Amino acid sequence: MIAGLPLTFAQPLLLLGLLSLPVLWWLLRVMPPRPRRIEFPPTRLLFDIKPKEETPSRTPWWLTALRLAAAALVILAAAGPIWNPQTAVGGSNAPLVILLDDGWSAAASWDTRIKAADELIANAENDRRGVALVPLSEPARDVTLMPAGTARVALRQIAPKPYSIDRVDTLGALDRFLKTTGDAEITWLSDGVDTGRGAEFVENLGKTIGDRKLTVFEGGAAPAQALVAAENAAAKMTVKVLRTTGGAAAGVVRAIDAKGSPIGEARYAFGMQDRESEAAFDLPVELRNDISRLEISGERSAGAVQLLDKRWRRRAVGVVTGATSDTAQPLLASTFYLTRALSPFADVRLGDRGAAQQVIAQFLDQRLPMIVLADVGTLSPEIRERLNAWIDQGGVLVRFAGPRLAQADDDLVPVKLRRGGRILGGSLTWEKPQHLASFAADGPFAGLAVPKDITVNRQVLAEPDAVLATKTWASLEDGTPLVTGEHRGRGIVSLFHVGADSRWSDLPMSGSFVEMLRRLVDMSGYTSKPGAGVASEATNVETVAPLRTLDGFGAFGPPPSTAKPMPADYRDRGTSEHPPGFYGPADGPIAVNTLASADRIAPLDTSSLRAQRASYTNAEPRDLRGILLSSSLVLFLIDAVVVAMLGAGLAALWRRRTATAAVLLALILSAASIAPSPTRAQGNDEFAIKSVSQTRLAYVVTGNADVDSIVKAGMTGLTLFLAQRTALEAGDPVGVDPARDELAFFPLIYWPVVPGAPKPPQDAINRIDAYMKQGGTVLFDTRDAVEAPPGENGASQTPGMRTLREILSSLDVPELEPVPREHVLTKTFYLLRDFPGRFNSGQTWVETLPREDDDDAASRPARGGDGVSPIIITSNDLAGAWAHRPDGQPMLPLTPGEPRQREFAFRSGVNIVMYTLTGNYKADQVHAPALIERLGQ
Amino acid sequence: MAAETSHETREILAIRRADGESRTLAASLPRLVLEARRIAANVIHGLHGRRRAGAGESFWQYRRFVSGEPSQNVDWRRSARDDHLYVREQEWEAAHTVWLWPDRSPSMVFASKGARDSKLERGLIVTFALAELLVSGGERVGIPGLMNPTASRNVIDKMAQAMLHDDAVRASLPPSFVPSALAEIVVLSDFWSPMSEIRTMLAGLSSSGAHGTLIQVVDPAEETFPYAGRVEFVEPEGFGVITAGRAESWASDYVTRVALHRDEIRSETNKLDWLFSTHTTSRSAAELLLFLHSGMMVAKGTARGSTVKAGRSA
Repeated sequence: MIAGLPLTFAQPLLLLGLLSLPVLWWLLRVMPPRPRRIEFPPTRLLFDIKPKEETPSRTPWWLTALRLAAAALVILAAAGPIWNPQTAVGGSNAPLVILLDDGWSAAASWDTRIKAADELIANAENDRRGVALVPLSEPARDVTLMPAGTARVALRQIAPKPYSIDRVDTLGALDRFLKTTGDAEITWLSDGVDTGRGAEFVENLGKTIGDRKLTVFEGGAAPAQALVAAENAAAKMTVKVLRTTGGAAAGVVRAIDAKGSPIGEARYAFGMQDRESEAAFDLPVELRNDISRLEISGERSAGAVQLLDKRWRRRAVGVVTGATSDTAQPLLASTFYLTRALSPFADVRLGDRGAAQQVIAQFLDQRLPMIVLADVGTLSPEIRERLNAWIDQGGVLVRFAGPRLAQADDDLVPVKLRRGGRILGGSLTWEKPQHLASFAADGPFAGLAVPKDITVNRQVLAEPDAVLATKTWASLEDGTPLVTGEHRGRGIVSLFHVGADSRWSDLPMSGSFVEMLRRLVDMSGYTSKPGAGVASEATNVETVAPLRTLDGFGAFGPPPSTAKPMPADYRDRGTSEHPPGFYGPADGPIAVNTLASADRIAPLDTSSLRAQRASYTNAEPRDLRGILLSSSLVLFLIDAVVVAMLGAGLAALWRRRTATAAVLLALILSAASIAPSPTRAQGNDEFAIKSVSQTRLAYVVTGNADVDSIVKAGMTGLTLFLAQRTALEAGDPVGVDPARDELAFFPLIYWPVVPGAPKPPQDAINRIDAYMKQGGTVLFDTRDAVEAPPGENGASQTPGMRTLREILSSLDVPELEPVPREHVLTKTFYLLRDFPGRFNSGQTWVETLPREDDDDAASRPARGGDGVSPIIITSNDLAGAWAHRPDGQPMLPLTPGEPRQREFAFRSGVNIVMYTLTGNYKADQVHAPALIERLGQ
Repeated sequence: MAAETSHETREILAIRRADGESRTLAASLPRLVLEARRIAANVIHGLHGRRRAGAGESFWQYRRFVSGEPSQNVDWRRSARDDHLYVREQEWEAAHTVWLWPDRSPSMVFASKGARDSKLERGLIVTFALAELLVSGGERVGIPGLMNPTASRNVIDKMAQAMLHDDAVRASLPPSFVPSALAEIVVLSDFWSPMSEIRTMLAGLSSSGAHGTLIQVVDPAEETFPYAGRVEFVEPEGFGVITAGRAESWASDYVTRVALHRDEIRSETNKLDWLFSTHTTSRSAAELLLFLHSGMMVAKGTARGSTVKAGRSA
């Protein structure tokens, strides 16, 4: 080994060859480079010149260095370098004690550890030393010295344990062994993971060993990773990934269902310093409920497996309320509190639309495992029938009291109720508001902390009878029940004797409410299939037997003989008695995991130990000769190229370099232009702010520079005209790209149609469609009325119209008609007859108005539909008429060019903008007298 | 063989380019009219007024009829005006033969980095332009060994055709031939041949008493020797190779050697009363043409003994 590097040489003497390098340097410097060859006509004159001293120009130093490096590589290769030579611990005859970490955290790199141990045993065999093998997971086993051959067999029999090991417990046995043996050499094959008492072990190990020789193997093997705290949240299932080392890393967590088929994969990534990361499965809740096992892909250890049972499944809970106008005051609605309390652990389905009966029927059809009825009164017999059947099959029905329930009378309550409620603390009552006293020890709420701050003002009372006490799950201070419940068939009926809102008590506002509901949800069946178990079985059985357990590598297997049945409410991490795995019945097992959800792993700090460090050399010894020789070959090739280029002249070299630089620059520039510019993404917010801070006209950027500049000038001209003539002082017009920009900010989008332009992508079409559906107006202008061939349908035969038809073919366009005389568009600001632009022969089309049959329709001066036409089509080139140069002169001439045509073009624009902004306001009858007067009728 | 082919290709390219460029150049200069002083009476008639009576087309003078002359010489129209008989005399006009020699040897193809044209191109441009000017001035132009003297209007095409179809070995110096005593010879070459060859050539050409001009067309690199480092110099016509260990130290010696070479040529031409000048391809071709033009126009008697420099002097 050389100075910490795992590098040795087979023939170190050959390294003396490196001493020849200075000589080589001198030789290379002296040897001249090949001369340049130049054709030179007056060469014959040169013959007459007496030759000067022929000191050649020197080889460039870097070329010499390159050649020297190549030569040095050849010499190094000849010396036979070997990376990762065999590690050896030895030099004494004392017995060798091998401490072996064999918890789950060692499983991922188990082969490496076994190999290292094997090498140690082989070395001990060579030295004829005894070996003691101490797996740190077995404190009960005595440490015995055995011959190397036996130790090797014993080593093969050790398998990693699926749980976190407590190294400290083994120290007693080691201490006893060392006391009897005396001198010994100790080697600890550490896995570098501290699962709890690591520091204590390190300290005690130092004491136990005393001044005996210690070698610690650490590093060099892949660090362990673990999964904890899987959580089926509202939108996705998340699981935390833990590790002990730093450095950026990423991986995949796989989700597998009970049958072993993969359901999904989620990526996770560690930052440089992160010890903890998270993988999230964004799957539908039904799929997430099928997940029974999460594992880190490629990590073979029990810690990298997270087993999920029904506690991780999200139930759908149907909430039905009997109240009618609940949504008006949400904070008074019972559904509000229920939704808030249930949503952390269940999918709430609200039945606030439709009558309670219908909603219940609907929920029953959906086979929800749990239904909450908040103050639902009388139910029809058939619904009652169905509910009863559903409860028999395992449904959980939770009812909340309320005025309606107090008046109703049905059998879907666990206890018989007294008619009418009881009011506490009212002006006509003696009693004070009651507090919650206790949870029944055998009820589902057993073990919950009893909150002292809950007051109950009003409740429904149960008829006292013999079984009331057994059905009471929570009671008030005066002994009256707050929550009652009973098992019926395979299901449960439960009643909260208060309402689910804050009027009767403040229970719904407390944290206990959430916990109580969680317990109830836990009891509900997790599948919607009839007959699938309700959790009551588990609560009935005291202990559950192991079904399938994990081995250290995270694979399922039959439970080992040491595995014992565990209490049904066991929620801790796996141990040697209760190894991680599934317990209980096969159709509803309970999962025990290697790590509890709060467990974290830390790197094991062994720096306080006075020990020799060694690394798991997880690679075979590697012969570096091939690499060195091939790299020297590469260097020689470079040298040849350089010499050839020098022969062609340094000038050529330089030219080539500039050419290369130019090519590189071009490549970089093109790459930069291809890559999506980040400014666009950042600019989105800016764009939105700019667009909404002021009303702006928008136009579609076509990509045709001529058209775009005219349209921009035109929209600017119209904006200016609007500011001069109307109250609308709009901001500068905005060019938009329907494929990328948010269109919703603009009341009107002007779309110049460029003949032959490709159809916009479907994505853009969809956005335009949505924009038009949301009330936006698109003004399509084909700008080619003058090109229309004569004839009946000439106007629709222009190239622009054909392109437009192509665009509109995939849009949901309403029926269109030419603007009728009485259309509100002709009245919104100016009274107009037609809408000229740069041309005046084109027709303007809008959405067809609904036909009105009533007689006075004809007499109405202005008609508008219910909304604004989402589409206006013209071919008059409006923007062309609006466009002005910066000096105020019109950009384009008009056809036919009557003096007032431009004025009317602007007026058309004003009317269209006003139409999009005010809608059918001018169609209101209020304006009729004024309009009629102005129209002179 | 390949080198030969590439040289031919380059020559063809150079001829094509020179064809076009020379026409523009020629069009920009006034007609070249040579002074006729030294032209003998028996040379072929041309368009040069000799300022004396003789065969020609333009009117020179009326003189009294001398008896014994053929009576058809009498100009009856003039004679009818008074009592004497007159003979109409034309001005004597005679054509001049100019032999042009553009060097087309491989060494002329050389062009260094800074030069606009190769020496070959420059030589051909000037040759063609000069031919065009001379022909339009009524002279006859020929290329020794390649094209007989002609006064054809499309002389450039003829020259180009002749060169393109020339399959002889490209020699640096014109072949030995005997021009008529009154012919004019213009040799455009780089004159890097050994002095003995140049002497032989000059002796042969001037043996009949013809007058001539030698223009040494050189590349800028051949003037300044801008080389450094270890360089192997190759003579393009295969006359040898020499390696310079540090070329930059050869520059001053080279410049001295070139000056010596030119002095030797100049002393030869001075002896023969020929003109010698150098032209660098970094200068414009028009400059050289102007020099040749004026050199032929100026009375040789006054210019005799001095050399007019065109372009960069050596």
